[in-house]
Order: sequence, then structure tokens, then C-alpha cells
Amino acid sequence: MDIDDLLQEFEDKSVPAGTRDINDLTQAWIAERTAPEILPYQNDLLERLMERIRAQIELVETQTGDLDPKTNFSLILIQTELERVKFLVRSYLRARIHKIDKHAIHILTTPTTRGNLSAPELSYLKSHLAILNSHYLSSFLRNFPEQLRRLDDKAGGISMVEEPDLDGAVFCKVVRDVEDRTVKILGTDAEFELKKGDIYVVRYSAVREFVLNGEVELI
Amino acid sequence: MYGDLGLKLVQHAKRTQSLVHLPPFQAEMVRAVTREVRDLDRDVTEMLEPFDGHFNPSEDPATACSLLVRHLCMRRNKRCLLAYHRVRSDKIEEMCWNGSDLLEQIQQGTGKWSDEEGGGLGGASGGGGNTSGGLGAADGVNTSSLSPEEAEYARQYSDLLAAYKGQWTDIDLTGSLEPPRDLFIDVRVLKDAGEIQTEYGAITLTKNSQFFVRQGDVERLITQGFLQKLN
Repeated sequence: MDIDDLLQEFEDKSVPAGTRDINDLTQAWIAERTAPEILPYQNDLLERLMERIRAQIELVETQTGDLDPKTNFSLILIQTELERVKFLVRSYLRARIHKIDKHAIHILTTPTTRGNLSAPELSYLKSHLAILNSHYLSSFLRNFPEQLRRLDDKAGGISMVEEPDLDGAVFCKVVRDVEDRTVKILGTDAEFELKKGDIYVVRYSAVREFVLNGEVELI
Repeated sequence: MYGDLGLKLVQHAKRTQSLVHLPPFQAEMVRAVTREVRDLDRDVTEMLEPFDGHFNPSEDPATACSLLVRHLCMRRNKRCLLAYHRVRSDKIEEMCWNGSDLLEQIQQGTGKWSDEEGGGLGGASGGGGNTSGGLGAADGVNTSSLSPEEAEYARQYSDLLAAYKGQWTDIDLTGSLEPPRDLFIDVRVLKDAGEIQTEYGAITLTKNSQFFVRQGDVERLITQGFLQKLN
């Protein structure tokens, strides 16, 4: 344990819960935007934040009539912060929707990734696929021979289902010490060590499990 | 030549990607490619008929080869069609997200076009304003760039989007994806937008006037093109 660790511990304790939530959201947002696959939905975090957003909106509404310059000033601060958090949540959800649209069939047919969606996202995904399907069908597929009507065909060596490219490169930072430090990159004989504070550009597939359990952060 | 039309469709799709608006639906071409697929399928069935379900490719490589080519052609055509429709439906979705009421816009767009056309022709011919106006309107319907199926899809998708958005009323999912910098911004009014209510009272937005307002209040009007954000 050196001075950095001590400082780190001190910081962890001194950060209030609200700020930590915002930090977590920022991290989740960054990760969602950089990871090639869809990550687990941060249900609890978002619920807590939405709760607070609603409370702040109410506060702003009740205090608006107040003409005291002091409250007016603090209101502006609150509103600015509110807009920023709303942007984060919006961008986070939109990034997810983008991936859901892109890898729709893959997500739906893979149970593990499917579990990463929230209930509304899942129903969005299903209805979107349904209307897209009926759109294709009514536009031209209904005139096709029976065996060519599928949308998840794998014949001819090309799969119609688009999958996330797990071998895509990501920037990541090791935030916690990892017990089994050496990581092998699949398909190559390259190896590297995960040490706290290190920053790497690697294939997502190599650090995937560490990202999911929070030992490595995407940046 | 088999496959030529498919290529054309893909080229159309490629072009569509870099356009702001949606070019007219190539109904004729889509029909032709679909017909091609049906013809190919009929060929395949006819070729296989004499074999009575016991076709052995190694005994008759020539037939096997032509069957393979036909099958590949069908698959290729299907891919081309899917690509074309996918690009267009993506575009439609994007428009839904941007908050522009797609169907309304199309109707307005064609309406305006036919009005102008009608007015222009009417002015030139002096007396026949009524008939040429009628013609213009009839043309206007035909120039709608969506196929009926696409219009239906657009309607369904905006319903779906509205349903999903409804669960995040506090966030306004379709809002700007630019990180907010300031709470208040300068805007110039490009088109008369009437009166809007803000928490600081009502503002009447008349053309060419300029205001310092809260971004959240006017976001919608900016995307709809009534206001312009000034730096």
C-alpha cells in the first residue's frame, strides 16, 4: 500500500452517494459508447437517478416564482446540472437503442445478451423486429419462393444475422488489481499483464470478462 | 442480364445514404428484381423436374452448375432488395427520431410542390388555373417518395418510438445529442411560431426577432426549423 492507495481510499469515502451515482452513470455511458456489444442495463442506478431528476424538477417548479436573486441563482445552477444529467441519460439510452437496432436478431437469439436489456428495451426490440419483418414481407418478400423468405438465413456461407465485432479495438484502463493478471489474446500468442493504472488498446474480447466485472474500465 | 437491376438498386441505396432527404421509391425496379427471382425459381423447378427428386450433382455437373448459379443469383437479388429496403427504413427511423412528423411533412412537401406548380402553370396560361392546379395536385400524390408499405412502416415505427419514449418523459429521448453547454442560448426566429409559454412568462416568436431563452424550452422549435441557434 502506498500513498496513492491511501488517497484512493480517502476519495472513495469522501464522495457522497449522489456524486458517485453520477460518476457511475458517466462511466456506464462511456463504456456503452465504446464497447462493441450491448452491456448490462444499469437498472438500479438509473432508477435512483431518475428519482433524483424528478425531485429536482419539482424543486425547480416550486421555486420558480421566487424572485429572491439568491434562489434564482441556485436555480440556474440546479437547472444546468439537471440538463447535463438528462443529456447523459439520454445519450446512454440512445447508444443502447442504436446497438439494439443494429444487432437485433443476434441479441434476441442469444440468451446472455438478451438478459442485458431492460424490459422496455426488450419489448421495443421485439416490436421493432416485427414491424420491420412485416415491412419487408409486404414490400417484396411475399412474392419470393417460400425457402427464400427467411431473414436469419445462414446458407451460402454468409449469415444474415449481424453480430457485434467482439474483436474490435477498445481503449481501457485497469482500475482494480486483478488476481490472475496475465491475459492471453485469443488467436494470437500475444500476452499482456493487467496492472492497476495501466492503459491499453486491445481487442474487446481479450478484456471482456474484466470489463463486465468492473476490474477494467473502458475509456 | 440477370443481376444488373440488383446492382442498380444497391447503387441507389448507396446514394440514399449520403442524401438528406429520401429519394422516390424505385417501385418499378423492385418489382423487376422480384420478378427475376420468381423466374429463376421457376427455371430451377423446371430443371429439376425430369430428375424427379433424385438429382445427383456429380453425374450431371453442367446442370448442377447452372442450378448453383441460379440459386446464387436469387440469393444475391434478395440481399440487394434487403439492402435497399434497409437503408430506406433506417432513413425513415432517423427521421422519426429527429422529431419531424414524417407523414405530415411528406404531405406538406407534396402539397406545397403542387401548389407552386399549379400557381406557376395557372399564371402562365392566364385562365386555366383550375385545371392545371388539379393536375399539379394529382402529380403531387405520385411524387410522394415513400411506397405505401414504407408509409405504413413509418407510422408503425413512430408509434413504437412514442411508446418507448413515453417511459422516459423526464428525459426527452429525442432531444439533442449535443452535450449542453449553457442553460440559456441566443436564438433567432426564422418563421413565425406564435406564442410559447416559458417559466419566465410568455414569449411571442415573430419572424426575425431574437431572444435569449432557456434551451430546453425551445429545443423542439429548433429541430423543427422555426428557430436558429446563434453562437
